[in-house]
Amino acid sequence: MFNLFKKKQTSYKAKLMPCNIEIIVDSGDTLLSSALSQEISWPHRCKVGSCGSCKYQLVEGEIKPQLDFGYVLEPEEINRGYGLACQTILKSDVEVIINLTYTQESL
Amino acid sequence: MKLFVNIRYLIVPAMSLITISGILLGGIYAWTGVILFGINTAIDTVTKDIHHRANFDSDGNSYGIKLFQYLVMYFMLPVFILLQIVLAWRLFQYSSLTPIETLTFLGINYQIGVSGLNLIGATLSAALWAGLGIIYGHELSHNRKQGFLASRLIMALSGASHFTYAHVYNHHLDLGHENDPATAPRGRNVYAHTWLSHMGQSKFSYDLEAKKLRKQNKSFVSLENRWILGYLYSLPSIILFVWTGGLLGIAALLVVWSLSNFLLEALNFMGHYGLIRKEGPVLHKHSWDNDSVFTSWFFIEIGRQCDHHVRGETYFWELDDVEGPNYGIGYFSLFVLTLIPFLFRRFVEKHLQHWDAHYASEEEKEIADQFNLNTAN
Repeated sequence: MFNLFKKKQTSYKAKLMPCNIEIIVDSGDTLLSSALSQEISWPHRCKVGSCGSCKYQLVEGEIKPQLDFGYVLEPEEINRGYGLACQTILKSDVEVIINLTYTQESL
Repeated sequence: MKLFVNIRYLIVPAMSLITISGILLGGIYAWTGVILFGINTAIDTVTKDIHHRANFDSDGNSYGIKLFQYLVMYFMLPVFILLQIVLAWRLFQYSSLTPIETLTFLGINYQIGVSGLNLIGATLSAALWAGLGIIYGHELSHNRKQGFLASRLIMALSGASHFTYAHVYNHHLDLGHENDPATAPRGRNVYAHTWLSHMGQSKFSYDLEAKKLRKQNKSFVSLENRWILGYLYSLPSIILFVWTGGLLGIAALLVVWSLSNFLLEALNFMGHYGLIRKEGPVLHKHSWDNDSVFTSWFFIEIGRQCDHHVRGETYFWELDDVEGPNYGIGYFSLFVLTLIPFLFRRFVEKHLQHWDAHYASEEEKEIADQFNLNTAN
C-alpha cells in the first residue's frame, strides 16, 4: 500500500555487455529507443516487436515487456531471459547482453 | 500552437458524437453519419493541395500532449460501443413496431420509433463511423500493453480483432511482399482486396497462435488462444443485435461489419497498392503517403505511411513528411476513386510508373515489369 506513495523513479541505468557501455533509460521509454537516441548501434529493423532483430539477454534487473515475446522468441529463450528491446521498458537498473556486431544481413 | 496541434485531431471524436446524436434524435437525422461522410469527402477534395508538417518547438520537442491524445483514443472505445447501442435501440423500436412519435427531452425534440428508410440511414451511419475505429485500433496496436488490448476491443466491434496481431506481426514485417495479405498487388481491385486481405490476416493470426501455443505445449482450443479470444470479444455485439433485432439485427450487424471492414481494407489498399519490396528492410518507398491537411487531421496522420512503416514506434503526431511516394490527394477523394476500379487504375498508373522509374530497385523493377505485363493483358 505504501508503494502508492513511493516516488516513482524517472530513469534507470542499463549496462550493455560485453561492450560495457552504460545508457540512461527514461521511465516509460523502451530500451531500444533510449539506446538509439544515445547513438548505440543496437541492431533493429521493425521497432514494433515482430522481427526479433533487437533481441537481448537480461543478466540482471527487472523489465516490463510491452508485447508478448512468445510470438517471436522460443520458450527456452524467454526462460533464459531473452527479450526484445523495442518492447522493453525498465523496472530497475539492468544489465543486458547484446551483440552489436549483428548486421542486417546476418539476421 | 500547442493547443491547436492537439485539438486538430478531434474531428472524428466530435463527428462520431454528432452521428450518435443524429441516431438518437431519429427521423431524417438518423442519416447524419452518411451526410457527414459526404461533407468530409468534399472538404478533403477541395483542400487536397494544402499540406502541413508535424510541429516541433525550437528544441525539437513535439507539441503533442501524449496523455491527452491517449485519453482521447481510449475514450473512443466507449464512443464506438455507444454507437452500436444506439443503433440497437433503433432496431428494437423497429422490430417491436414502436409507433413513430415526437417527444421532448430537456427541450430537444426527438423521435421515438423509426421508419424502415431511417433505420437504413442509422445503420449506414453507424457502419461508416464504426469503420473509422480503425484509425484508433491501428494507433493503439503500436503502443503499450493497455493500448494493445484497447485496440483489440475497438477492432472487435467490427468483428476484426485479429487485425491487431496481423498488423504488427505480419503487415509491418512483410509489407510490400507477397506474404503480406494487406498489401494489394497491381491489378487487384478494392472489393477483392477487402475479402482477401481480411481472410488472409485472420489466417495469419490463426497460424501465429497455433505456432506459439504449439511451442508452449498448450492446446489450440483455449482462452490463451488470442485468435479465438478476439472473436469472443465480438460476442457482446452479436448478442446485442440478435436480442434487439432478431434476424433484422443480424442483417444490420452484417452491414456494420461489412462496411467497417471495407473501410479498413480500403485504407490498407490505398496505403500500399502496387508497391513491391524484395527482401531487406522496409523503406519509405514501400508506402504511399496521403498527407493533405484534412486527411492528416481527420485520420490522425495514418496517411503518413512512409514514415510510420520505418518508425513504427513513433506517435502519430510526430510523424512527418519524408518525401516518399505520394498520391497527391487525400484518403476521402482516393477512396471514391477506388470504388470505381478502372478509374482508380487510370489514376494510379502514372504514380506507379513514377515509382518504377524513381524508387524501385533493379529486383523490384523486374517484379513490377512482370506485374505490369500481366495486368496489361
